[in-house]
Amino acid sequence: MRRPGFALALLAAAAVPGCATQGGGNVAMEQARGGLKLTLLPSPGAQLVTIRVLVRSGAAQDPAGKEGLASLTAAMLGSGGTASLPYEELLRKLYPMAAEIGHHADKEVTVFVGQVHQERLDDFYPMFRDLFLAPRFDPADFRRNRDDLVNAIEKNLRGNDDENLGKAALELSMYEGHPYGALDGGTVQGLKALTLEDARAFFERHYTRDNVHLGVAGELPPAFLDRILRDFLELPKGEPEPMALPEPRRSKGIEVVFVEKECRAPAISIGCPIGVTRAHEDFYPLMVANSYLGEHRTFNGVLMNNMRGKRGLNYGDYSYVENFIQEGGSTFPLPNIPRRQQFFSIWIRPVRPENALFALRQAVRELDRLVAQGLSQQDFETTREFLINYSRLWAQTQSRRLGHLLDSKWYLGPQGDFLAEVQARLPRLTREQVNAAARRHLQAKDLVVAIVCKDAAALREKLLSGAPTPIVYDTEGTPPEILTEDKAIEAYALPLNRERVRIVPAAGMFEKR
Amino acid sequence: MKLMMLAAVAGAVCAAWASAREDRRIFPYPVHVETLENGLQVVGVPWDSPGIIAWYTVVRAGSRNEVEPGLSGFAHFFEHMMFRGTKRFSQEQYNDVVKKLGADSNAFTTSDWTCYHFVASSAALETLMDLESDRFQNLEYDEADFQKEARAVLGEYNKNFALPIRSLQERLFDTAFTTHPYKHTTMGFLKDIEDMPNQFEFSRKFFDRFYRPENCILLVVGDFDRAKLMGLARKYYGPWKRGTGQPEIPVEPEQAAPLEATVEWKNRTLPYLAIAWKGPAFSDRDKDLPALDLISQAAFGETSPLYRKLVLEEQRVDFIDGSASDQRDPHLFAVWTRVKKDADVGGVRDEVLRTVEELKTKPVEPARLKAIQSHLRYSLAMRLDSPGAVARTLAHFLNLTGDVESLNRVYALYEQVTPEDLMAVARKLFVAERRTTAVLRAAGEGRQ
Repeated sequence: MRRPGFALALLAAAAVPGCATQGGGNVAMEQARGGLKLTLLPSPGAQLVTIRVLVRSGAAQDPAGKEGLASLTAAMLGSGGTASLPYEELLRKLYPMAAEIGHHADKEVTVFVGQVHQERLDDFYPMFRDLFLAPRFDPADFRRNRDDLVNAIEKNLRGNDDENLGKAALELSMYEGHPYGALDGGTVQGLKALTLEDARAFFERHYTRDNVHLGVAGELPPAFLDRILRDFLELPKGEPEPMALPEPRRSKGIEVVFVEKECRAPAISIGCPIGVTRAHEDFYPLMVANSYLGEHRTFNGVLMNNMRGKRGLNYGDYSYVENFIQEGGSTFPLPNIPRRQQFFSIWIRPVRPENALFALRQAVRELDRLVAQGLSQQDFETTREFLINYSRLWAQTQSRRLGHLLDSKWYLGPQGDFLAEVQARLPRLTREQVNAAARRHLQAKDLVVAIVCKDAAALREKLLSGAPTPIVYDTEGTPPEILTEDKAIEAYALPLNRERVRIVPAAGMFEKR
Repeated sequence: MKLMMLAAVAGAVCAAWASAREDRRIFPYPVHVETLENGLQVVGVPWDSPGIIAWYTVVRAGSRNEVEPGLSGFAHFFEHMMFRGTKRFSQEQYNDVVKKLGADSNAFTTSDWTCYHFVASSAALETLMDLESDRFQNLEYDEADFQKEARAVLGEYNKNFALPIRSLQERLFDTAFTTHPYKHTTMGFLKDIEDMPNQFEFSRKFFDRFYRPENCILLVVGDFDRAKLMGLARKYYGPWKRGTGQPEIPVEPEQAAPLEATVEWKNRTLPYLAIAWKGPAFSDRDKDLPALDLISQAAFGETSPLYRKLVLEEQRVDFIDGSASDQRDPHLFAVWTRVKKDADVGGVRDEVLRTVEELKTKPVEPARLKAIQSHLRYSLAMRLDSPGAVARTLAHFLNLTGDVESLNRVYALYEQVTPEDLMAVARKLFVAERRTTAVLRAAGEGRQ
């Protein structure tokens, strides 16, 4: 059954002039054997072969006091050796073929991505496979990987990465008491408490054939599919117990955490959990509403145009209706970070200290206006058209297309194809559906805010006073209509939860859960 | 030398290119070049991406061209201003058209060039011609917009310089160069960025100087009709007037002695160490820069003895990298690392210096050299996985020489470099009189 299916898929794909860069068209197919799932994306003519190994476990499964275990376990495979090859030797063998192996542990999923030139697949694949079938768990690799994770918190995030610090502080605060309420990379004390045996045990429990979804893309040798399925069936049977996921708390009013540290300009993140994921039909109208408010790294959103464009407040202002990580230098989302629960967020890039509270007020007010007024028919139509065209670019590379397919299976089941859903559903959407979805799922009253700044006490006091916080321009020629609107923004009433307007020193964050 | 993969794969991608299999060039695909009467070079590269094109406009001006005191950072600032509209398309109208196309659109500036790029539907070709030719010829903005954008640039500086390595880079360049504009980063000196709102008049001069057809290259990669591309280019870009010249770029004098600099960082951090030597300018004819690219791999890559010692075995640093960037004027070969203990910075520096000394006398094994050459070729093949990636790679070389063939020439040189060439370039460049060392460490109690 498997082989005819494979051949059929290839034939179907051959009808389309396929290549690694085509936005869609090649026909993916599903395989399952002995609990192991595999998604195949044939790409005739592609020069690369991509293998994604999706493990349906992640940082949310870190045991109490051992935060960081999922990430460290992933690093022991993705940045460690195999039983027959110490890490150094593995690097040496991968080097002449410039093959790549990456890994990322998110809350509910850990992904490994291997990519190699097609003509070196036979050299590469056994090494990649052995990372899963015979990982080395070398004590020296363990020390190095753990050091890297600890330094990522102690030295990078706390001291030198204000924008990501703001985003992390937002998630921590939003998901207080929830399995999502720690960094994916763990806590300092959690990491320091981990042993090599902990990582091995996590691996044995979670990296099982029933908990792994393989994705393969490229022009593959005929026997390859059978080989990879046969090999990964060697993973032990079993599936870890499903993780219960309680409803996240909803803040009452606007909560603010000031993360105090030395910095040039405050970075601000705003958010709240929402009850919508890609599996929900309202995700599609929400995509449109969100794109209108703050499409990532474009000049489309009202946040970007009104905050940066008209006022020069900062470098950029964007919004999101799900967890979003930008993939490398692209503007596109990193695939394979799916979650069962999602959150809405606004990202305000660093603002001069004197304008931080004005920027906060403006962003919340823009959200408020979106919910209250919705999109005009024209805005709806142009935003929808943008997304229909733009989403065709989300899967330009083979690796990204495969990643999107695996996410589709995660959210929508074996026949799911999220990008195809976008193409099918958006043309049918109406303005009313978009505005109704925005009203149902977004709001500007119960939010969590994280502000990374110095002199937090003064900012907190100013915020709590409720007094207007006017924008300070050191530029000239601001049009009168903007100045008039500024008056409304500077006095926009934020419904603060005064009990939860806190200051937290960055130096102590992420120490333990 | 075994023949490369890109060529082998090309045959499968498109039968029309089957002859590419016999071509020894690393990028053996057809490249159509036409130079308009006004000097604008139009480069078209058919690539199998049905329905999609990548559109790159290369402006051969970057922070290297910022020769006037007090006006550093202007190439980058100007990149921002290019989105501020024309008489025909206001900023809002421009954004609306781009939005409707659903294009992935952005721009970036480096020390040598500025790039405006799109990935869009093939059907967008004429719209892009119209939009882009219009703003490159007729950009118009008022002083209020100019000032607002100046503050967005300051916001960008503020975001970037929360990262220690950016500050270290800023100090390293400022120390290593005395005269050449490579002294400042592409962002520019902070004092100049703060003063940008007052430089409205200069911004017009900048546009007038550098945004000229003979200084720009239009590159389209993907699914397009060649005749249509060239016809549209003539129609829309034909009227663009040539410029009247550019200021000379000052030449950096020879360095006389080793230089040192320190950055005190106000937050907790592990110390960062940068050791740099003055290197050559880009050339696709000389072996020095290609040899340095191989040295970068041999001495500092993740399979090098130094990486094994410092990262994997002794675990004294968490990363190390050494490389020379391709630049139009002589720049630096720089080694960057982050040391896990403050007290070990000197020890790590000595390991780096010992490594470059060894390069002068100990030849790299032929098998190792072969592995490096293979790595470089496969890395390129791995990178060329979308029309945008192909355009980005070609644009890099177009900026350097104006000639897309430079890519093929450089990779051909990689194959010709011998162990003796590596020793010769090491002896020539890795000397104390060309060296600048910069350290960033936490101030006071933030140290480890």
